[in-house]
Amino acid sequence: MSRAGRMACLLALGLAPAAPAWLAAQQPSVRAALEARGLPADLALAVDSIAARAGANGLPEGPLTDKAVEGWAKHVPAPRIVAAVAAYADRMVEARAAVQGGGVREPDGALISAATEALGAGIGAPSVGTVVRAAPDPSLAAPALTVAAALTAQGLTADQAVTVVADAMRGGRTMAQILDLPSVARAMQDQGMTPAEAGRRILEGGAPTGGVLGPAGGRPGGSPAGPLPPLPRPPRPADHPPHP
Amino acid sequence: MSDERFDERLKEAARAYARRLPELPASLDDRVMAAVRTRALPASAARGADPARRGRWWRWLVEPQQVRPAWGVALAAAAALAVWLVPRRAAPLAPPATPAVAALPAADTVYVRFELAAPDAHQVALAGTFNGWDDHATAMTRGSTGVWSVTVPLAVGEQRYDFVVDGARWVPDPTAHAQVADGFGGTTSVIVVGPKGVVRT
Repeated sequence: MSRAGRMACLLALGLAPAAPAWLAAQQPSVRAALEARGLPADLALAVDSIAARAGANGLPEGPLTDKAVEGWAKHVPAPRIVAAVAAYADRMVEARAAVQGGGVREPDGALISAATEALGAGIGAPSVGTVVRAAPDPSLAAPALTVAAALTAQGLTADQAVTVVADAMRGGRTMAQILDLPSVARAMQDQGMTPAEAGRRILEGGAPTGGVLGPAGGRPGGSPAGPLPPLPRPPRPADHPPHP
Repeated sequence: MSDERFDERLKEAARAYARRLPELPASLDDRVMAAVRTRALPASAARGADPARRGRWWRWLVEPQQVRPAWGVALAAAAALAVWLVPRRAAPLAPPATPAVAALPAADTVYVRFELAAPDAHQVALAGTFNGWDDHATAMTRGSTGVWSVTVPLAVGEQRYDFVVDGARWVPDPTAHAQVADGFGGTTSVIVVGPKGVVRT
């Protein structure tokens, strides 16, 4: 054997102890993790089976284990937990198809998970594709879908929420600005607006962040681009300082 | 005294000194070596003193040898298998318990303060996606007005959570961005954390 070959063998021997840890990090045991969290063995096994099928199908397992743990923490009966986990897995299949319809052929787990939440919030599969297509980068599609789902849950119509998010991305808004949209919508509603009014106000560029849907950085001082005057910043109680 | 004269006298003295040394027998070397060979060395000295033995392992490493390539692969596989068979600990789903203000956040996390007015509660905790829904992980602190609060570092993005009052009652956050169905017949609070945090009224 040549010197290089022997050195390679020795290197392999030296790295061999690290291989199990690396493999374990790549494929954590769902069942063991659930049992460690206190779930009974039969429930852990049922969830592990669903997660294994999802994983073999290229879907993320993390949201499924998280859903099972949430149910167990809330003292939900085991059969209901299994049903909820299975339903979530089925919805992930739909979500992946919706994302693929938006042009991302191999979405990662975060994007599938965000699309699943969006479907659960009432956003249709075509609208999920619309948000994905509007994202300037596939990595931004997941947070955009999360925001759209949150806006829908706040009471905006699904069409309104999707339009707000898609237009914001097409207008060149940063992801930080888009992630602020649920806070903006919540502040507007706390000031007395209906969800529909808040959505319309955001679409028209009257958001307190200086016109979320206005031209990106186009106006000095962040003045709104729309016809409505700027709203005051949402009030912050003294004991609730701005978060860094 | 000139240098030449000094050198001459020095050489003469050296010759006179050499004439006074006794003549050593020719067999002295053989006798000394025979005595050395008959005396056994300590074991440790024997291992370390032999340069050939000391360098054997290093030569095995660096010099070409006739070794079957499959041996190295087999040894590596055996070592990996042996370590693999050691019982593994399951990866915990929940992070360790956090105090009211946890450690410094990473670059993509921000501090978010949670509050719940529950003057009659004896204990309130925060449980959500960020702590593995562990209702013991993030205890809240009671203020003088009966408002319970905690500040936790959260990753940017969506977070789902609820308050757990007195260890049993799961209560949604009235100041959250939204309430969504949790899939179990109840609701869960949702906030979307941006890089600047969460603005709530």
